Amino acid sequence: MRFGDLLNLVLYNLGRRKGRVALTTLGVIIGTAAVILLVSLGLGLQRNATSQLWGISDLRRIEVYPNYGGGEGGPVAVAIGPGAIGSSSPSGQKLLTPAAIEEIRALEGVEYAIPRNWVGVSAVLKVGRLENYPSLLAVDTDDLAIFDYPLEAGTTRLERGTAIIGSWAARQFYDPRQRPGQEPPPQPDLLNQQVRLVLQKWTQDGQMVTKTVNLRIVGILAESRSEADGALFVRMDEATAWEEWARGQRINRNREGYNMLIVRARDPDRVLELADQINAMGYMASTPQSFVQGINNFYLVLQLIFGGVGAIALLVAAIGIANTMTMAILERTREIGLMKALGATNRDVLSIFLGEAAGIGFLGGLGGVLIGWLGSAMLNVVAITYLASQSQGGPPPTTATFTPLWLPLFALAFATLIGLISGLYPALRAATLVPVNALKYE
Amino acid sequence: MSESILIAIRGLRKVYPMGKQQAVQALAGVDLDIPAGSFTVIMGPSGSGKSTLLHLVGGLDRPTAGSIQVNGQRLETLDENQLAEYRRKMVGFIFQAFNLVSSMTALENVAFPLRFSGVPPARRRQMALHLLRQVGLENRAHHRPTELSGGQQQRVAIARALAHSPRIILADEPTGNLDTASGYSIMQLLSELHRAGHTIIVVTHDTRMHRFATHLVYLLDGRVVTREDYEAAANFAALAQGGPAT
Repeated sequence: MRFGDLLNLVLYNLGRRKGRVALTTLGVIIGTAAVILLVSLGLGLQRNATSQLWGISDLRRIEVYPNYGGGEGGPVAVAIGPGAIGSSSPSGQKLLTPAAIEEIRALEGVEYAIPRNWVGVSAVLKVGRLENYPSLLAVDTDDLAIFDYPLEAGTTRLERGTAIIGSWAARQFYDPRQRPGQEPPPQPDLLNQQVRLVLQKWTQDGQMVTKTVNLRIVGILAESRSEADGALFVRMDEATAWEEWARGQRINRNREGYNMLIVRARDPDRVLELADQINAMGYMASTPQSFVQGINNFYLVLQLIFGGVGAIALLVAAIGIANTMTMAILERTREIGLMKALGATNRDVLSIFLGEAAGIGFLGGLGGVLIGWLGSAMLNVVAITYLASQSQGGPPPTTATFTPLWLPLFALAFATLIGLISGLYPALRAATLVPVNALKYE
Repeated sequence: MSESILIAIRGLRKVYPMGKQQAVQALAGVDLDIPAGSFTVIMGPSGSGKSTLLHLVGGLDRPTAGSIQVNGQRLETLDENQLAEYRRKMVGFIFQAFNLVSSMTALENVAFPLRFSGVPPARRRQMALHLLRQVGLENRAHHRPTELSGGQQQRVAIARALAHSPRIILADEPTGNLDTASGYSIMQLLSELHRAGHTIIVVTHDTRMHRFATHLVYLLDGRVVTREDYEAAANFAALAQGGPAT
C-alpha cells in the first residue's frame, strides 16, 4: 500500500469515530501538556538559579590555594623528574611560588593567573578622625578591570601609592570617639581622597609600633556580592614591603609562595576540567562551577521527577489508546476480514491500525504541546509577577518556566511513540486474524 | 472437448476444533477438479461444508489436510504474504451479506481493494467508475450502502470483486439475502461474467442457479457425492419432515 493511501485511510478511519478518538486524544493532550509544563518548570527553576549564580560569581574563575600537605582534602602531589618545578617542599607541600604560577599559567585554556594575598599585617584605615578596618587584599596586577569587578566611581588602574576600595568597605567608617546616642558621622567621600593606612606591629615586650602609609583612593567598586565588597585593594609589591616591615625580615616568594592564585579559564565549559588538572598537579583548586554543577545535578533530579509525573499521565493516556484500539478492532473485525479477502497483507492491516494509534498519539501530542507551551508562558508571567512582588532584596527572578525548542519536539515524538507502542498489541492481533474467522465474527 | 483444469483439489480435509476435546469435520476428503472458464455451482444442505470449501479455494483459510492447486500453485504451501497476493490477483469474493464498508460510498467500496495493490487515487476512481458502469450502477456511485437496495448492494460487491480482474469469482450464497427479482438479476450478472471468461464458483441453495451452471457439485457431510445420492438424501430428509423433496 502506498504511504499516501495509508495516511489517507488512517485519517479516514480516525474521522469515522470522532467522539471516541477525541476523548482518547484528550488523555494524551493532558499527559503531554503535563510533561511540557512540569519539565519547563524544572528547567525554568534551574535557569533562574544558574543565572543568579552567574550574577554572583564569574563562573570562569578558579581559586587555587597552596597545598600544605598532610592536611584536609585535596591531593598532595610530589613533583618528580626534570619537569618538576621547585614548588614542592621536601614535606610534600605544593606552594604557589612564582615558578608554580608560571606552570599553571602555561596550562592550555588559562586566560590569566594572578596571585592575590591577604595582607598579613594588622592595619586601620583612617580619614580624618574616622576609622575603618577593611580586608587588605594585595593583587599582582596594575588593573583590577581584569577581575571584572563592577566600578562605581574612579578607575580600576592600581598604581603605587593608590588603593581601590570595595563598596561595602567604603561605607564602614566610624568615629571611635563617638558617644552613645550621638548621630553617626556621614561617610566620607573617598574618591581621590588621601587616606592613611596605619600598619601595626608589636615588639617582643608588647609595645605597639605603627607605620603610616599614605594612599590615594582612586576607585570605588560597585557591589559584586563577592570578597571585593569588603576589601581594600593594594599593589602586591607595596603590600609585600609592609609585611616585611611587620615581620622584620625579607619575604622570599620562591620559598613561601602566595596564599592564593586567581585563575580564569578562557572557556566556561572547560573550567571544571582545568580545575581538575590543577588539582592533579597537587594544588587545591575550587571553582563556583563545581557548586553550579551540584545545583545542576539537583535540578536534573527535579526534572526527572517532574517529567516522571507527566509520564505517568501519558501512561494513563497510553492505556486509553490501547483500549480504544482494542475496541476498534473488535468492532471492525469483519472489516479486517474483508480487507484480507480483498488482498490486504498482514503488514497492510498492521500499518493501518498502528497508524491510527500513532495518529491519536500525534494529535494528542500536538494539542498537548500547544497547551503546555501556552500554559508554560502564562505560568511564567504570573510567577514572575508574583515573585517580583515578594522579593526582599537581591535580584528578582528572570524566569519561572523555560521551554527550549527540543522539549515540544521531544514531547510530540514521545506522544506519537506512546501511541505507536499502545497500538502494537491490538494491531498485531488484527494483523494475524484468520480472514475467514474475522469475516464470520458477529 | 478437453477442459483445462484450473483448480485441482485432492483429499481436502478441514477439521474445526470445538473446545479441548471435540472437533467438527467440515470436509472429509474432497477430490474435485474445476475447469478453467466453468460456472460451477456447489449445492449442499447447511453444514455440508460448501462454504468451507469455497473459503479454502479462496485462500481465506488453510486446510487440515490435502491439497488445493490453483493454476499450478499449491495454496497450502503459500505463506501469509503469498496468500494475500493470491487473493488479490487471482480471486474475487462475493458474500451473502455483501460486506460493504457502510461509511464508504459505492465508488469508494469498489475502489477499496485497489488501495492494497498501490493503484494511484485518480486511476482507482476511474477503474471503480468503469466497474460500476459494468454492473449498471454508475448513477449510484456516490451513495452509501444504506441508500442502496439489497440487489444494488450486491452489484456493488460484484463490481468490487472485479476490481483486480481476477480469473476466479467465488460467490457464497450471493442471492441469499435478496428477493426473487434481485436474485435473478445477480445470477444474470454472474452469467455475463462467466461469458466474459471468468471462472465462477457459486455456493448456493438456490436451484434457479442450475440453469447458468456448466458444472454442478453436490456436497453431503463434507464429501462430494453424485446427483443421485444427493437427491436421495434430500428426499429422505424431506420425507422425514413430512413432504416430498422438490
